[in-house]
Amino acid sequence: MKKIIATLVIALCVVGSAMAQDELSFERKQAIDSLALEKVRDLSKYIKIVGSKETPFSEANRVIDRAEELFMSDAEIGVSSLGSNQITYYRVRKYFEHLMRLNYDRVEIEWYNIEYVSDLQRQPDGTYVGVITIFQTFRGYDKEGNMVYKDTTKKDITVYVKRKETQIGGRTIGFWDVLLGDMRVKETTNR
Amino acid sequence: MKTHLRNITFLAIVFLLVGNTFAQTIGDFKMDETELYAMTKQMGQFMRRFNYEEDQFGERLNPKDPNFRSNEMRRKSLPILFDQEKYGTQTDLQRYFIEDVTKGDSTYMTFLGGRWFSEVSCTFKYNGKDAKVMLFLTVEKEGLGSKWVLTNVYFSEFNKLFPQGEIAEREKHFLHPMSHELDFMNIYKVFQNPEVVDYYASKEFQPDYLTLFFYEIKQGKLVFQHVDSVKFHVLQIKDWYFEVSWFNRSGLNSGWLMSNVVYMPEKEKTNLIKFYQP
Repeated sequence: MKKIIATLVIALCVVGSAMAQDELSFERKQAIDSLALEKVRDLSKYIKIVGSKETPFSEANRVIDRAEELFMSDAEIGVSSLGSNQITYYRVRKYFEHLMRLNYDRVEIEWYNIEYVSDLQRQPDGTYVGVITIFQTFRGYDKEGNMVYKDTTKKDITVYVKRKETQIGGRTIGFWDVLLGDMRVKETTNR
Repeated sequence: MKTHLRNITFLAIVFLLVGNTFAQTIGDFKMDETELYAMTKQMGQFMRRFNYEEDQFGERLNPKDPNFRSNEMRRKSLPILFDQEKYGTQTDLQRYFIEDVTKGDSTYMTFLGGRWFSEVSCTFKYNGKDAKVMLFLTVEKEGLGSKWVLTNVYFSEFNKLFPQGEIAEREKHFLHPMSHELDFMNIYKVFQNPEVVDYYASKEFQPDYLTLFFYEIKQGKLVFQHVDSVKFHVLQIKDWYFEVSWFNRSGLNSGWLMSNVVYMPEKEKTNLIKFYQP
């Protein structure tokens, strides 16, 4: 009987500590937001480099490799324009290759300062999921320097956050692993 | 009137402040971010603004902050969540709504609070032709978290299969109560006219459109094409029903906004909820 009670007490302690870990404090949420925003800022930087006509091909490919590492392996990018509800789906590499091959003489890609971070929700397996919204303007110029295309897009980027553990010098260290998931790219204006 | 003017002044100050602080110059272009700050960019932001869980810059408020879920702040910020092209800035309904939801502490919107549904309007191919189908989804708790699940579907072709029909016509179709003594030799009548086969069902019978939908998908007759639009039906707030739709437009009133607001006592919500989740 004593043995059963002892087992129950231990189990409850474990469950208790696991539950305590699952409830994210306000400060913890802020720390995770920062981690996620860091990844999104890297992504913005990579889009700008790959989109630029001044970036050499080999450098662009190296940056695409880095960009792919930010995402889950099955992540997709869904792009739509104002004129159509159809979403074109790209794998991350294809999206960047498409960006690299855009037929303009010069492009300007800029990001608004706004970065809106959602609350994190847990999915059934316990992984936290959030969405970060950012806005980008794109301008394409022809040989004569005339702006021939302009749009602003809203980018809603899925962020997955998982608690992981690693062994460093024989000690178990916990850390938050952040990876980007599907990204929805929606044109909001082409004026 | 005074309160209303105060609200408008508050909003104007907020957005002017935001605009001045965040206008950005890139090359020859000045990018004014005021509108993007004002935009309700995610449904989650709609909830946070509804509850006043974030400040005017979109920064999450610490639950210990005295302004967190402050009804006074909500009274000032709730008007921006209405589609002002429809509701203007001061209708009786809007005033009544704001007054009602800010008087107690039980009128906050929560992600896992239930009684809110997503309506996803889609295009499918049905027997090779484009067809509009509305899917209804809700958030369901599962395992360590939650997920969106399908609760119902509206497809006009399914509804055509089960017309209400004239009562007089319905009353003609039944199996008399002694049919069992004849080994149901008359049951062939049920199947004689497929259009009215359902008249022979119990009065409790309700067609299950989601099952029909899954059947047609599995048969390969309905093939998904794309999503056309998304909106939300919110029944979580005591005595109110409202829709939240996406407004992509310029100005300081865009993004996810209340597009249809109806005063609806709790007991009147039952039938509507049954439509979204039979």
